[in-house]
Amino acid sequence: MKVPVSLRIAALAVATTGFYTYVGQLVPQKEVHPPAEVAISKDMKPDEMAKVGREIMEGKGLCFTCHTIGKKGPLRFPDLEGVDIRAKSRVPGFSDVDYFAQSIYQPSAFIVPGFNPGMPVINKPPIGLTDDEILAVIAYLQTLGGKTTVTMQTKLPYQAGGNGQAAAGTVAPPPAGPTGGPAATTAAAPAPQNAGKKPETPQNPNPSPPQ
Amino acid sequence: MMKKGLAAFLAALLGFAVIVGIATFLLRREYHAPYRAPAAVTQETPRAQGIADEKAEVEKRDKEKPYQEVEYRQFPKIGSRVAVWIAAQLHLLFAAFVLAVPLFALAIEFIGYRTKDRRYDRLAHEFTKLLSVSFSLTATFGAMLTFGLIILYPKFITYLVSVFSPTFLPYVGLFFFEAFFLYTYYYGWGKFSPRVHLALGLGLNVVGTGIMLIANAWLTFMTSPAGISEKGALISTWDAVRNYTWMPINVHRIIANVAFGGSVAAAYAAFKFLGAKTDEERAHYDWMGYIGNFVAICAFLPLPFAGYYLAKEIYAYSQTLGLTMMGGAFSWLFIIQAVLIGNLFLAANYYLWLGMGRISGAEQFQKYIKYLLILVATCFAVWATPRSIISTVSEVRAMGGSAHPALQFLGVMSAKNTAVNILILTTFLSFLLYRRSGKTPTVSWAKAGNRAQLAIFLVAATIVISLGILGYFVEARVRIGFSIPQVLSVLFTMVSVTVIDVFLYRNATKTGEVRWGQIAPISQYVLIFIAVTFTWLMGLMGYVRSGLRQHWHVYGVIRDTSVDAFTPTLGFATRIVSVCVLLFFLLISFVFWLASLTGKKDWEPRPEKAAETERPGLEPVGAAE
Repeated sequence: MKVPVSLRIAALAVATTGFYTYVGQLVPQKEVHPPAEVAISKDMKPDEMAKVGREIMEGKGLCFTCHTIGKKGPLRFPDLEGVDIRAKSRVPGFSDVDYFAQSIYQPSAFIVPGFNPGMPVINKPPIGLTDDEILAVIAYLQTLGGKTTVTMQTKLPYQAGGNGQAAAGTVAPPPAGPTGGPAATTAAAPAPQNAGKKPETPQNPNPSPPQ
Repeated sequence: MMKKGLAAFLAALLGFAVIVGIATFLLRREYHAPYRAPAAVTQETPRAQGIADEKAEVEKRDKEKPYQEVEYRQFPKIGSRVAVWIAAQLHLLFAAFVLAVPLFALAIEFIGYRTKDRRYDRLAHEFTKLLSVSFSLTATFGAMLTFGLIILYPKFITYLVSVFSPTFLPYVGLFFFEAFFLYTYYYGWGKFSPRVHLALGLGLNVVGTGIMLIANAWLTFMTSPAGISEKGALISTWDAVRNYTWMPINVHRIIANVAFGGSVAAAYAAFKFLGAKTDEERAHYDWMGYIGNFVAICAFLPLPFAGYYLAKEIYAYSQTLGLTMMGGAFSWLFIIQAVLIGNLFLAANYYLWLGMGRISGAEQFQKYIKYLLILVATCFAVWATPRSIISTVSEVRAMGGSAHPALQFLGVMSAKNTAVNILILTTFLSFLLYRRSGKTPTVSWAKAGNRAQLAIFLVAATIVISLGILGYFVEARVRIGFSIPQVLSVLFTMVSVTVIDVFLYRNATKTGEVRWGQIAPISQYVLIFIAVTFTWLMGLMGYVRSGLRQHWHVYGVIRDTSVDAFTPTLGFATRIVSVCVLLFFLLISFVFWLASLTGKKDWEPRPEKAAETERPGLEPVGAAE
């Protein structure tokens, strides 16, 4: 029996789409939901903060979309293993907390040598971590090669209402930017986002992360 | 005739049954809240009193009901996201077709005008026949999409209107002019002087491209918003239009539309070829299919480079978005894409190799086909190799990780970039051999020209492969930069070798004619396969472009808080893409059928019926007057 041409064409179209649909079922199937909010309280202890900080980095912070821990080789973004050791000496005059805070609130201020700028401002949308969540993240980062010293009461100069004045339990305002980047100021306002006006010459609006 | 009609009916029925089947399958997986019977309540008041009280309560509540803006509405059964997805996809597919066909129809008409060869004019007219119904379908699905968004996503659409309202009037104006140019161009075929007609075609293309640029601004703004404050308030509409991904999408879409339009037009020719009754018809539709496919492949070859440009701008806007696309939730999607593009390259090469069979004198090149096939297949395999492999626990243990100890080196961008560039070079080489079939150059520098072409090919291949290997040993930021010289060397090869070839084969002696129509029928199924694959690829890549925003309507500005505020599995996405593709082909078959009606004889009563009407007793009223 001769199969009519139109039926053959229809069968080919159905078989082709069927094949591609089948290929689509072979790859890993994962629904991606918006990151869940993590409960934070002002009376958390440092180890609790570090635990919550890790959760934030895995979820809402999207940190591990780019960063790794303990990975070697030519990486696209800095690996975070032992980052606290490097953070203490990365910028003269900066403590590890100063450095982490600057990297999160003003990621364009310092670019780790060997890497391209690429880190977004974390306290603004689309990630939009709160000041308390950032403190928890810093607490976790300190555990990578060091000990958590930051507390929920620590005031960072970038926080809303922060005046940049060093005081007991307050991080000192960072000095001038070390690598040609803009001087890290005591102003509370973070670096502008690229959600605003597109520059005349396209520039990379999302500078790079800490190491 | 009856047989053909029955077959078409069965084909339509089969297509419909498949779509219903897939839709039923999807719906079966829809979440339904379990029904719980209300807890029993003791009747404390008499029934009539209770009903009256309830009614009064409802009335009171209705009177006091405050006005509340609705954020979302739900589309029944399939949900709002899927409803809008299908409407948008069908609108885009028809719009792409309507924008692309005039581009190459005008080019073909122009060639006919310059060469005075009427065949080109006829071909361009035949392509244009497919436009008018497609234009109506584009508008229909556009209206469905617009109303769908207004009804189902009112808050989000209000925000988009607040940013883009100044662009709406120009859009509507251009749409009106597109209708004017399109219908004048089509119905005015042969009625105006060639120059006036060409000017109408040019107007159609300019207006169509303008429409696309405006619509692209809306959708790219959703991915890479610009021209607004941190709180989302409008600062500059122009800055919102020219956001980071606007120009790359414009470039990518124009090229992809031409590739898609060419492939669908070639599928139409294949459909006509397979049903042709005479050798003349077969020859015409073979040629038409070849031209359509030629247009598609010419546009397809530079498409990956437009893709690089788009990806680069996505990374430039937000590294997080870029990494979500290539290394996060959507990374496996690019393996599916590799399968599709690999198939496209294989099919395109196969069609060219089959086409050599209709040219006498092509035998000398056929011995190279097996080597080309090996190259294409190898590159395809490298491109489709995933970085990590889905495996069981014992397999992971045996491999020492989720990545295969040897194959993992093929799953990285260094290998994939190299594979795709070699794939493009190979396909270009296939085309070059096809072009040379049945011709012998007569220029004095023929040998030197051939050597120069070979040298360019070898140097480009060496650059591509060397940089690919070097990419394994350098820092990431250096490696990323390697793709630029790789791409440039391939582009340079395609341009320079073509230029040399044009001069080399100018006034060439013909050792054999192209026997149009004498090609294996399977080649026509290959053309249809290419069209279906292109359409599916467009659906898939449209999904990643849109899905990239994940739980944001406008990335970082307007968050999606609906029930669909999650990224579905790739399996689900591919099922929706398939439904869209099948619906599109069902509808485009209707367009093909309508287009094939033009030029057919007018309906006349059958002889026996005609005889019946001639019987005196059955004479129509008034016939005797």
